[in-house]
Amino acid sequence: MEFRNVSMSYERGYDVLKDISFNLPSGSMHFLTGPSGAGKTSLLKLMYLAHRPTRGEIMMFGRDVAKSVREDLPKLRRRIGVVFQDFRLLDHMTAVENVALPLRIAGGSGAHINEHVEELLVWVGLKDKMSSYPSTLSGGEKQRVAIARAVIRRPDILLADEPTGNVDPEMAERLMYLFVELNKLGTTTVIASHDNGLVEKFGSARLHLVGGKLLHLEGTGKRPELGESKE
Amino acid sequence: MRTPYDFLPDVSKREATKLLPWVMAIMVYLSALAATGSLVLHSGFDDWASSLQGRVTVQLTGENREEMNDQSSRIQEVLRATPGVELVRPLTEDEIRLLLEPWLGAGNITEDLPVPIMIDVETSDNIYVNLDALESKIKQISDNVYLDDHAKWLDDFLRLAYTVESTGLGILVLILLASVCIIIFGTKSSMSEHKGTIEIMHLMGAHDLMIAKAYQNRFMKYGLRGGVIGLILSFITVYGLLILVQNLSGGFVETPTLPYLKMSLLLLFPLIFAALTMITARITVMRELARMV
Repeated sequence: MEFRNVSMSYERGYDVLKDISFNLPSGSMHFLTGPSGAGKTSLLKLMYLAHRPTRGEIMMFGRDVAKSVREDLPKLRRRIGVVFQDFRLLDHMTAVENVALPLRIAGGSGAHINEHVEELLVWVGLKDKMSSYPSTLSGGEKQRVAIARAVIRRPDILLADEPTGNVDPEMAERLMYLFVELNKLGTTTVIASHDNGLVEKFGSARLHLVGGKLLHLEGTGKRPELGESKE
Repeated sequence: MRTPYDFLPDVSKREATKLLPWVMAIMVYLSALAATGSLVLHSGFDDWASSLQGRVTVQLTGENREEMNDQSSRIQEVLRATPGVELVRPLTEDEIRLLLEPWLGAGNITEDLPVPIMIDVETSDNIYVNLDALESKIKQISDNVYLDDHAKWLDDFLRLAYTVESTGLGILVLILLASVCIIIFGTKSSMSEHKGTIEIMHLMGAHDLMIAKAYQNRFMKYGLRGGVIGLILSFITVYGLLILVQNLSGGFVETPTLPYLKMSLLLLFPLIFAALTMITARITVMRELARMV
């Protein structure tokens, strides 16, 4: 994923992102840090193709997605997993149905979907919550359902916006280990967070935004060894 | 064919679209009544016009009754000898009195009143009768003879029939337009209600068509359900009105004839409204989604 001189504004307002350039190697893991209002969510929106830049190029999947025609975007979006800050689970669907959503969108149907989904929910520790609706789940449980939904199709890129913002420190750490595990499978991972302690603990590379500008790019994004990063 | 993925939640009590089947029922009800009224009137006009078509009235006036009777006999001979004339029947004095009563009042027609002689003539449907030539011929017998082929009346009837039909069609078009507006409003309202769900579907890579199909299927069911209800209610209303007319008239007023064959087309109304609802919802959703990246 490569950004070249990318700027972005909402509804002809001022630029919330200014001349951003970086290159994230495939399979890398990065934290996206910065104070509130720095533009982290806006940058993620560009990454998950919810918004188009006002200027610049965004190279993903071997093409400039900023200039891709609208009809091509759904196919590209299916290769991106997103964990939203507010989970954005569908309240009228059970945990299983929520996680199965990307598979159904991709045209999957039948029993093997549920089998696959249940397997993943067991893996994220929600064996007993499969038929539960989001309204009955705790923050951490919702977060894990959201993560399961984001990774169910083994996306090429995984983006998470403050994924630990709504959970206690212990759960936050557990979820971070989950991301690291997913990254090990080859998924390029970007996690937006303002939890410096967590970022330092996991010692991954960092994109730091201030006032819409990328101040520095620390590290290589090479996946940290769990043993090294833990303490 | 794969069943479209219905990702939309069940309609909640507070959702505006919950009322859509009922609105559609009212629209189909009004459409069916407008169409029935138009068809019944059209059928009535047809009967009326066909009863006048092929009929000619010869009217002979004068002051000398004996002379008039003589002229009448000669005119009838001419008429009977004309190819294409199938029936020649002079009206009796009582029949003429009955015709005059609405204008002069019963009992006001005295013996000395110079009432005309009227001859009812029926012409063939297959043989053309040149009425102008016929009138010239009988005018040689009397200058006071007139031949009325009811053309003016027929023209008036046809104009009225056309106006009634056009009005009925206009009402139908207005109802369809109003329905389209309501469907657009309902679709947009539902999309607004489920904005979060649609956004998630969109961001996960759902094509516009997938989202549109979920809506069009749901709305088609609304249209079909409402249409069936509306049609049944309209049939009940028409049947009730017929009974009412029959009971009120007691044979005095002719009960309108229902053109059943044409009315069977009303059975298509629920399907037409279902299709209208489906297509309108689909177009609305596609247009709304096109605004998203």
